[in-house]
Amino acid sequence: MSGTNSSSAIQSGRVIIEARDLVLSFGETPALRGADLSVRRGEVLAVMGPSGSGKSTLLYCLAGILVPDSGEVSFDGQRLDTMREEQRSRLRRDRFGFVFQSGQLVPELTAEENVALPLLLGGTRRQEALRGARAWFERLELDGLERHRAGEMSGGQAQRVALARGLVAHPDVLFADEPTGSLDSLTGELVMGLMTGAAREEGTTVVLVTHEPRVAAYADREVIVRDGRVATATVAR
Amino acid sequence: MIRLGLRLTLGSGREAALRVLVTAAAVALGVGLLLAALAGVNGLHAQTNRSAWLDTAAQASRPTSTSHRLWWLSSTDQFGSQVIDRIDVAATGRNAPVPPGIRHLPGPGDYFASPALTALLRSEPANELRDRFPGRQTGIIGAAALPSPNSLIIVIGHSTRQLSQAPGAVEVGAIQRTPASCYACQNTSGSGPVLQFILAGGAVALLLPVLIFIATASRLSAARREERFAAMRLVGATPRQVSVVSAVEAVVAAVAGVVVGFALFFVFRPLLYHVPFTGAPFAQGDLSLHWIDIVIAVIGVPLAAVVSARLALRRVQISPLGVKRRASSRPPRIARIIPLLAGIAVLAYFDAAGKPGSNGGQLLELLAGFVLLIVGLVLAGPWFTTAGARLMANRASRPSTLIAGRRLLDNPKAAFRFISGLVIALFVGSAAIGALSSIAAASSSGGGSAGKDTLAEPFCSFSTSNCPASAKVPSVPGQVLAELRTTPGVRSVTVVHQSPAQPQQMNSFGVVACDQLAKTPAIGKCAPAATAASIGYFLSNVLGHNSHASSTVWPSAHLSAADIAKLPADAVVVATNGSSSAIERARTVLERAFPFQGTPVAVDAFDPSTARLLTMVQDMTDVVIVASLIIAACSLAVNIAAGLGERKRPFSLLRLTGVPTALLHRVVALESALPLLIVAAVAIVVGLVSAALYVHSQVAIAFSIPGITYWATVVSGLVVSLAIIASTFPLLNRMTGPEVARNE
Repeated sequence: MSGTNSSSAIQSGRVIIEARDLVLSFGETPALRGADLSVRRGEVLAVMGPSGSGKSTLLYCLAGILVPDSGEVSFDGQRLDTMREEQRSRLRRDRFGFVFQSGQLVPELTAEENVALPLLLGGTRRQEALRGARAWFERLELDGLERHRAGEMSGGQAQRVALARGLVAHPDVLFADEPTGSLDSLTGELVMGLMTGAAREEGTTVVLVTHEPRVAAYADREVIVRDGRVATATVAR
Repeated sequence: MIRLGLRLTLGSGREAALRVLVTAAAVALGVGLLLAALAGVNGLHAQTNRSAWLDTAAQASRPTSTSHRLWWLSSTDQFGSQVIDRIDVAATGRNAPVPPGIRHLPGPGDYFASPALTALLRSEPANELRDRFPGRQTGIIGAAALPSPNSLIIVIGHSTRQLSQAPGAVEVGAIQRTPASCYACQNTSGSGPVLQFILAGGAVALLLPVLIFIATASRLSAARREERFAAMRLVGATPRQVSVVSAVEAVVAAVAGVVVGFALFFVFRPLLYHVPFTGAPFAQGDLSLHWIDIVIAVIGVPLAAVVSARLALRRVQISPLGVKRRASSRPPRIARIIPLLAGIAVLAYFDAAGKPGSNGGQLLELLAGFVLLIVGLVLAGPWFTTAGARLMANRASRPSTLIAGRRLLDNPKAAFRFISGLVIALFVGSAAIGALSSIAAASSSGGGSAGKDTLAEPFCSFSTSNCPASAKVPSVPGQVLAELRTTPGVRSVTVVHQSPAQPQQMNSFGVVACDQLAKTPAIGKCAPAATAASIGYFLSNVLGHNSHASSTVWPSAHLSAADIAKLPADAVVVATNGSSSAIERARTVLERAFPFQGTPVAVDAFDPSTARLLTMVQDMTDVVIVASLIIAACSLAVNIAAGLGERKRPFSLLRLTGVPTALLHRVVALESALPLLIVAAVAIVVGLVSAALYVHSQVAIAFSIPGITYWATVVSGLVVSLAIIASTFPLLNRMTGPEVARNE
């Protein structure tokens, strides 16, 4: 967990993502009803809230996966909500990293190939990409699993491989949607410790969606989403 | 448990119902194709059975209980490009056997003709067709004797004294009722073992891909089913109960598929009658199903679906905590290519050591070599797939090639399974077309248009070395020559005389005066200043004698024109202006003048029966290739859909992270196209190599690469397959949309 110094540094940092008055409905069901949020560069932000509150939808809007029905989302000064899908895809590929709850590894690829995937997508040569990927195995305590496939790893190991994949291309922002949702508490804490530690070392901003206070405790700041709105009360650590 | 299985299958909401529906639709398509293939095979057998009587000469060597026998001579005639089966008969008594389709034998001076020939006799000028046949038409041959409704058949009655003198006529005590198994049958309508082998090959090439497709279709959505089975295990279901539920699901989809498949077959069967399986249309009722076919479809398909589902379950461990795939199977070993190499070795051995002396030995060579090659291709397919995939994955610098290569390496057998049918069809097609094109190239006399326009009437002494003295033609009457020369469109007539040199050899068949030879350039020319030439075999044939007569300068014969004129006639050659009227009129004059001596044929064409057999093989090959392409394309589409179902979550999450859909399209395209292209190339090469070895060993001719039509068929077939792969891209886009990642 972060100390006071880093918190104060972040509080003074520039805003990297800003969402204003986001509204989004799935058919008749409203998911966001005017959500506002600012994320500062380098901070680890936890988005908390009960199931169905709209926190994952908010994360998808911040990451440019979903486009709000109304409102604005900006990343580094660029409006995501007005960008074309192609541009948003490129942005997600080049500037963002993602960790989901489960099932995100390509089953046919080995662990190191899965980690190297974002680098290969960015045009890095195969050997160089694999070298870059392997460096993360020691860092995330995955030594010896380089040639394993998704089906040959435990949930915690697979999630750390996914984390390595999310960070390997040095993204500006790592979006994590319930990254420990399918793990036991001990493994979840291991993954969270490694994730926030690596992100801070890399200077990567993290937007973390979770409903578990223990997970949110790893963040510099937490906001709570209720009924599609970001509650005014935020907790800074 | 069965009731629970039924409830889970039919009452588990839209997704489950849709899954059963999709599987049933795929099985229905497979069953429809299976029934069409079985009906096609039945139709071919029905045609062959109805043509068996034309091979009655096979009965000549058999003892008979009837006191009265029948003199029998079968031959093939030609009108334009149509073949006419001509049967000349003469009864030795009242109890002589009667062929099917007619109530009694035609007496001397009478003939019976098939309906199609009757129509032709009425519509065409008499001097182009009707005058060839002695006597008058007194009856019509019934459907029981017609292989096809448009068969041209004539049965001509003679006196025994007349027909017994005809070369090739035999005495029989019974009519052949089942396909003959003789090689030396006089008639070559084609019910002999070669045709049986071709039919069997065609049937296998049609049925195998369909069966593979049905097995594939019944395994659709296996991954989703397995997830549900894991949940059942969690609440206490035993592995056996899970197995029963799985079987019930498979049977429900298969039974629904069988019902719809039958409906599809009956709805589309009228269209099947237009498929030119052998070039000859089927008669009404030919494309019927036998009870065994119905049993295969009604019981066999659901049973196969259960077995397939059971095998699929064995490949995964379903525990209460989820589904775990068994570790990747070991990569295919190189030993898998041994049967393929053995097949090539068998054909190469016979090529080097010479073809077996007996007909049985030759058939054994053909069977052993080709069965080994077909089995070898199916066994070696996964190894070739692995080799290609490994090369691609190890060198991949793009994510799409890496993912596709790894996917193929993960289960090369499954990747190959979907295209194995196409591979067999491509092999069979390439081998058949390779052999046919070689025969066509080597057998052509090279006469160009002159070869097509020049008719030759080869007499018994020209065609066979054991022509009886009574059948020899001492001379061509002047009246016949005059009639030929005055026929409109006939340019010149040349008489080839029997060579005084004995025994006859291929390069010294006859002698001809040079002034006559100069008027029929299609059969070659004399050396400068020569007055007579000793000429060799100048007709097209499948024996591999590469005559290329038109460009041949025959050696001089030291005989005067007067000496040559005294020699018996060996053949009459008539050069025409190429009009069908001139050709048919000349043919009619020759046939009338020299009955029982065979049919006049164009110098550059095969004899009618050989041409018919080759056309039939060509037609059947085309049908098999096209049908296999359709089936392979369906298999590929089903395979892609199944593969996407298994990977929609990782793929949809990749899309969320910014991976462009074009990359996923490339993955899907590569996974399907790579094995298709690799194994297709192997099948084509093996097919052409085996054709080369076979034609070289059997008929001693050089291999000739198939023409542009073959390559165009193959390339367009592959392009269609790739287009079908591409047509699944919208499905990929829909199956991997952002909502999938959220809802799964």
